[in-house]
Amino acid sequence: MNALDNRVARNHVNRMCLAANVPLVETGTAGYAGQVELIKKGLTQCYECQPKAPQKSFPGCTIRNTPSEPIHCIVWAKHLFNQLFGEEDPDQDVSPDTADPEAAGDAGQSALSSEGTNAGNVERKSTRAWAAETNYDPEKLFSKLFGDDIRYLLSMENLWKKRRPPTPLVWDNLPGKDDLPAQHSGLPDQRVWTVHECAQVFAASCKSLQADLKGRPDGDHLVWDKDEKSAMDFVTACANIRAHIFNIPLKSRFEIKSMAGNIIPAIATANAIVAGLAVLRTQSILRGQIETCTSVYLRPKVNHRGQLFVPEKTLTPPNPKCYVCAPKPEVALACNLKQLTLKDLNSAFKEGLNMQAPDATVEGKGLVVLSSEPGETDHNNDKTLEQIGLNDGCALLVDDFLQNYEVRVRLQQEDEEKSWRLVTDTDAPMPAPKEESTNGSNGANEPKPGPSRSRDDSDSDMEIVEEDEDEPVVKPPKRRRTEMSDEVVELC
Amino acid sequence: MVENNEIELSEAEAEQYDRQIRLWGLESQKRLRASKVLIIGLSGLGAEVAKNVILSGVKSVCLLDNEKLRETDLYSQFLAPPDKIGENRAEASLQRAKALNPMVDITATTKGVDELPDSFFTEFDIVCATGLKQEQLERINNACRDSNKKFLCGDVWGMYGYMFADLVDHEYSEEIVQHKAVKRGPDDTEKNARETVSITVKRRAIYVPLQNALSADWSKPELRSRLRRGDPSYFVMKILLRFRDEYNRNPDPVKRKADTAILLRMRDELVKELSLPAGFVSDALLYDVFGTVSGAAAVIGGVIGQEVVKAVSQREPPHNNMFFFNPVKCVGFVELYGQ
Repeated sequence: MNALDNRVARNHVNRMCLAANVPLVETGTAGYAGQVELIKKGLTQCYECQPKAPQKSFPGCTIRNTPSEPIHCIVWAKHLFNQLFGEEDPDQDVSPDTADPEAAGDAGQSALSSEGTNAGNVERKSTRAWAAETNYDPEKLFSKLFGDDIRYLLSMENLWKKRRPPTPLVWDNLPGKDDLPAQHSGLPDQRVWTVHECAQVFAASCKSLQADLKGRPDGDHLVWDKDEKSAMDFVTACANIRAHIFNIPLKSRFEIKSMAGNIIPAIATANAIVAGLAVLRTQSILRGQIETCTSVYLRPKVNHRGQLFVPEKTLTPPNPKCYVCAPKPEVALACNLKQLTLKDLNSAFKEGLNMQAPDATVEGKGLVVLSSEPGETDHNNDKTLEQIGLNDGCALLVDDFLQNYEVRVRLQQEDEEKSWRLVTDTDAPMPAPKEESTNGSNGANEPKPGPSRSRDDSDSDMEIVEEDEDEPVVKPPKRRRTEMSDEVVELC
Repeated sequence: MVENNEIELSEAEAEQYDRQIRLWGLESQKRLRASKVLIIGLSGLGAEVAKNVILSGVKSVCLLDNEKLRETDLYSQFLAPPDKIGENRAEASLQRAKALNPMVDITATTKGVDELPDSFFTEFDIVCATGLKQEQLERINNACRDSNKKFLCGDVWGMYGYMFADLVDHEYSEEIVQHKAVKRGPDDTEKNARETVSITVKRRAIYVPLQNALSADWSKPELRSRLRRGDPSYFVMKILLRFRDEYNRNPDPVKRKADTAILLRMRDELVKELSLPAGFVSDALLYDVFGTVSGAAAVIGGVIGQEVVKAVSQREPPHNNMFFFNPVKCVGFVELYGQ
């Protein structure tokens, strides 16, 4: 019986139960809603039979250059936290992105010449190193992040032809400085800070996080945690300062915590109902009535037939092309073999195929490409797939002994693919749930990045969702299990 | 009803109820915190309801029960520890109930409902009754009604369960999410950001008392047409309430054979009385109504707990007026009776 709170762990238990051929009762709740679902090898869909909507991610240039919504600023602020105090990740750069296709032609030339330094992406020391050199001086950090970098963005004129340009800020002259304390009812955290207050919190949290970092052994780093006061203060302050610059509505610390922490609230009543339904379903399984155990959805409100718990009429049979539970699982990996390294391949198996410890050999040749044994194939990490002799159409047998799972992966050359992308034989991946349309980003027309980079750091007890047999709307494959992070924006 | 609505939540409360506040908002939490709840009958279902209500953060909960804890209670009554068999069920539940949430004032009362005056019940904002006879339920319901207090009742028999609600004249707010396009720049034509805006609407629901719902007239066409749906849950409830009224107890697993015969006889009488189609309430349904199955108690207790939260927080549409759980299909649905 699964009552887990994240996709990775659910995937893992799913595979263990398939391998052991043991029925799995999979459960979850999100707010007032919930579901119970039976997973049994050969009889029902497995947890991974339907591709799930990817975790929401935003194009890098929206985050770095042209935010238009609070969430863009929050993502940027979390990236900034990692750049300054956390694990540095090149994909989480926070400086202006000169490679933005929209800005082509005028990549900040004027700014470059006037500053006399190269502030672009290349040859620049890491944000962390620079911050350390200034001893994390809040005023200097502020002036760079919210002054210089914004001026640099302004110099990329193409970006602002159809957008309202951002306004750089000056530390000594921030809005709200002389405001009287506003009347506020509600939780203290629900009050929206002025920009001046944000700057004060920014300064204080920087100092406190720096001290925390200093107290740790060399090379260690902080991990962002929504429940850690300074970390949450820092993200709230930075997100709001940036939002102000881009004329985006400011949010309270309370709201930003929901969005940054992917909080899906769990309540006792919905948990009790789903737990009860799971127990009743389990008792049916134990009585030998497994065929009757269709999925049951707890709806947030009754449907038009007055139903609050809606059972499905039949079990949903396995997807014969599922790359996890099919008798001979198979999947294609689209990538540019000239660019994708073995290290990337390893992360494709871990992130894309949810493996824990992949071993890969070339089909027919038995050549070991990746080994889960530490050190065994590390020397090849930076070689491209082409360099080790893999080409278009090549098949790899990828095995994870921890999950008792083997899948055949066909490589598919795509010159345009910047990273990698799984191509399942099923229909097109489920479109993102409706709610996502509210997050229209500036990068809508750009090619989607393959893997989702966001970590699954949700706080949810769940992942859900209902499908409503009664709605006559045609939904491409059954929409279920909207991932928790998808819900986040809805909550705010 | 709401006495200290203006007093802000303490930091400890804000932290403890953080997730709930994110779901139902601060106003709801303040209303919850001002509410006094009476829970009658500390069976497995009563324990589930008590747990949910205590966790939600109401002002106070009174547990009322004059029965002794029995061994069979232990299959579903998780608030009472096994070493308290023979003690009063409400008192036996007190320690664990308090441990669930020290911020709620929890008391136990060992009297029977018949010993208590109407004024006892109307001191609470909402009463939740389980395990009572129909006349007892109706008496308390009417007392609450006269003082404009809210009343819920429900039961679990085996895997089967129901809930009834009389919120009298209930005003509540409902949040409706709308999508709205917003412009951010002077010439921002193509990439309009869209915002979700939630607006709060005020609504009102009028309820009927329990006796109306239980004496629904099945000869009326609108009820006849419900028979087509084929769900016998309402009648199962009627049969089991009649059994309790007549024998002053629930069907007993120890007397399974004799009690089943009684239930089948009562079923036949009811079918005749209401001119129901033959076989509408199958024999098999009445084999599964012994004891309290813990999973069913969790399900019904979860629904009742949520209705208490909705009723006192005056947020989101509450069920009007009966909820049934049919374990055969694992379906749970709401129907309006007696209006």
